[in-house]
Amino acid sequence: MARAPYKGARALNVMATRTSRFNPYWLLVAPAVLLVLALYVAPIVNVLLLSVTDPKPGLGNYVKIFESDTVANLIWRTIRLCLITTAAAVTLGYVVSYAMLHALSHVRRRMMSILLISFWISVLVRSFAWLMLLGHNGLINDLLIGLGLISEPLPLMRNELGVLIGMTEYMVPYAILPLLANMQGIDPRVTSASRSLGASSAQTFFRVFLPLTKPGIIAASLLVFISSLGFYVTPAILGGGKVQMIAEYISVQLLVTVRWGVAAMLATLMIASVLALMYVLNRFMKLSVVFGGVAR
Amino acid sequence: MTAKKRAQDPHETGRSARNNERGEGRSKMEEVTMKDKAFLNDLAREGAIAFKSGRLDRRSFLMLCGLAGVATLAVKANDAEAAANEIVMWNWGGESEKCHGDAIGKPFTAKTGLPLKFDTSGPLQGKIKEMVDSGKVTADVCDADGFDAIALGKSGHLEAIDYNIVDKKQIKEGVAWEYGVGVIFYGYAFMYDTKAFGDNPPKGWADFYDTAKFPGKRSLYKWANGSIESALVADGVAKDKVYPCDVPRAIAKIKTIKADSLYWGSGSEAHDMIVNGEVAMGMIWQNRGKTIEERTNGRYKMVMNEAIAMPGAYIVPRGNPAGRDNVMKFIEQALQVDSQLMILDCLGMTPSNPEAFAKIPEAMQPYAINSAQNIDKVIFNDPVWWADNGGDAVNAFLEAIG
Repeated sequence: MARAPYKGARALNVMATRTSRFNPYWLLVAPAVLLVLALYVAPIVNVLLLSVTDPKPGLGNYVKIFESDTVANLIWRTIRLCLITTAAAVTLGYVVSYAMLHALSHVRRRMMSILLISFWISVLVRSFAWLMLLGHNGLINDLLIGLGLISEPLPLMRNELGVLIGMTEYMVPYAILPLLANMQGIDPRVTSASRSLGASSAQTFFRVFLPLTKPGIIAASLLVFISSLGFYVTPAILGGGKVQMIAEYISVQLLVTVRWGVAAMLATLMIASVLALMYVLNRFMKLSVVFGGVAR
Repeated sequence: MTAKKRAQDPHETGRSARNNERGEGRSKMEEVTMKDKAFLNDLAREGAIAFKSGRLDRRSFLMLCGLAGVATLAVKANDAEAAANEIVMWNWGGESEKCHGDAIGKPFTAKTGLPLKFDTSGPLQGKIKEMVDSGKVTADVCDADGFDAIALGKSGHLEAIDYNIVDKKQIKEGVAWEYGVGVIFYGYAFMYDTKAFGDNPPKGWADFYDTAKFPGKRSLYKWANGSIESALVADGVAKDKVYPCDVPRAIAKIKTIKADSLYWGSGSEAHDMIVNGEVAMGMIWQNRGKTIEERTNGRYKMVMNEAIAMPGAYIVPRGNPAGRDNVMKFIEQALQVDSQLMILDCLGMTPSNPEAFAKIPEAMQPYAINSAQNIDKVIFNDPVWWADNGGDAVNAFLEAIG
């Protein structure tokens, strides 16, 4: 077979079905794969190597996870904040998606454009906007004091609360997009059937609709959690210096203390945990389905 | 300096030695070719510099390019020409671009014909190291800190200062280092709200850390500089005994106000925390403090007593594009009394040239580090201690406040 001359598409087809052999379609993807390998994977491998070579060869940087409270606390804080953000963003996103699903089509279009506009606004701009809103003399505190509800400004930022508000708000659109795609794929007749068979609206939602949106919830949670791990600007601006997350710490080790080994170690750890997370989830459900691919 | 002389320069030998180190796995042959290329590149660059300054006529310059290999050097000659054509200053943007341009750039260009350009992305130590290691050095002079000059000088990332061109007499004692020059001084002072403490104003760091006597929140610098020293002074360490810093002691003191403290990473953040009433007292860069006093008509007042004075160093990344001589002339210009006073006026950074101290204007006296009324009150930072211990101190500090 390998030596048989090509005879157009038929030959390609035949070869494609013989999966054990070289699939010529790979040639079509090869340039893209090579580009990614050269420009993306190679530099990353280079960074990862730093984690075992700087300042001296060995696993010294990794031992720090167990020896140093700083690094352990940092990892734990990052995970905790990302989990809370994920829960909050996916819950809010679910409510908005549900509303969008049931809105009239022209309203939904408008909601979609608002969503996309907020999606495109830079994280820096949004964090500064929160400074104006949450600050000591910010809009919210001024309003509450003006209404006589509080006498002293509430500490809404320069703490974990501020960071969580900023992160959640940034992440809501990331939760909505996969959730909405999933909800739109559910046949509306299913809920109608449930109602016609005598289920209450609450029963229909919790026993029919919610289980059907499980892939959407998982996709949204995964997307939000993984993206949250890299938050840098929001904690730096809204955290008042006390809420350090991994990304900011990596930047300090790169730029200020010039401990590139530690920075590379944390980066490696982040990449590894994201990959591990995806692997574990892949055991339970096909990730390609979650992200809109075809089930095999 | 001619190409030949340059090749004999001990400096250059150092660089090629490092190149060899990096190319351990390479064959002898390749190594030779690399050296050749480097030599030809230098030749073209030096030729371009000579051509620009009129020491070399056009024909000879082109011949030199031809000699070095037209095909490869068509691009490189352009690079070389551009490199010899300007000084690139790597600073922190904002006002400093205009101020450095007016105070140093203009007289420098008038003398040498070389324009001054800016890269305003902020020359943090890690970035300078990365730039030099990558071999693509695009900046000639960095507006960095004293401890950067010591640390990066030690690790071989900087060009040594040529004190034949830069006159040591124009530099305050103690900040003329082998690999950098303390061109200006800035400092970590603190401000308080006169509405809260107008009758009984705080006088130094001991009051700053005393939240019982002076209730309210505090803000400190996020990356430990100044913060460590302030805590030690507050804890009773004598001003001349601050270095070497007892970091655990400083951190224990900082932890006493942890619940009442915020931390800033940029001048504007520090500014906001004070004028928005988020803190009752806040650490501040002394030049920023002057702006706040002026803009709030004195509602917030700065305390310069026991301020931590930092030497701001001009350092030259190893292998800078404009060549060592040009950039040394630039540093020499920065130290001229007129330039120094213009920077003080424009940026609030205090002169390092002792000759300029006496010429600090009356209005700037309260804010300048080296003015007659402040010079004995402030604590001068020890960049050598910071270069050796800064990394550990920053990490210990971050752990304590996190």
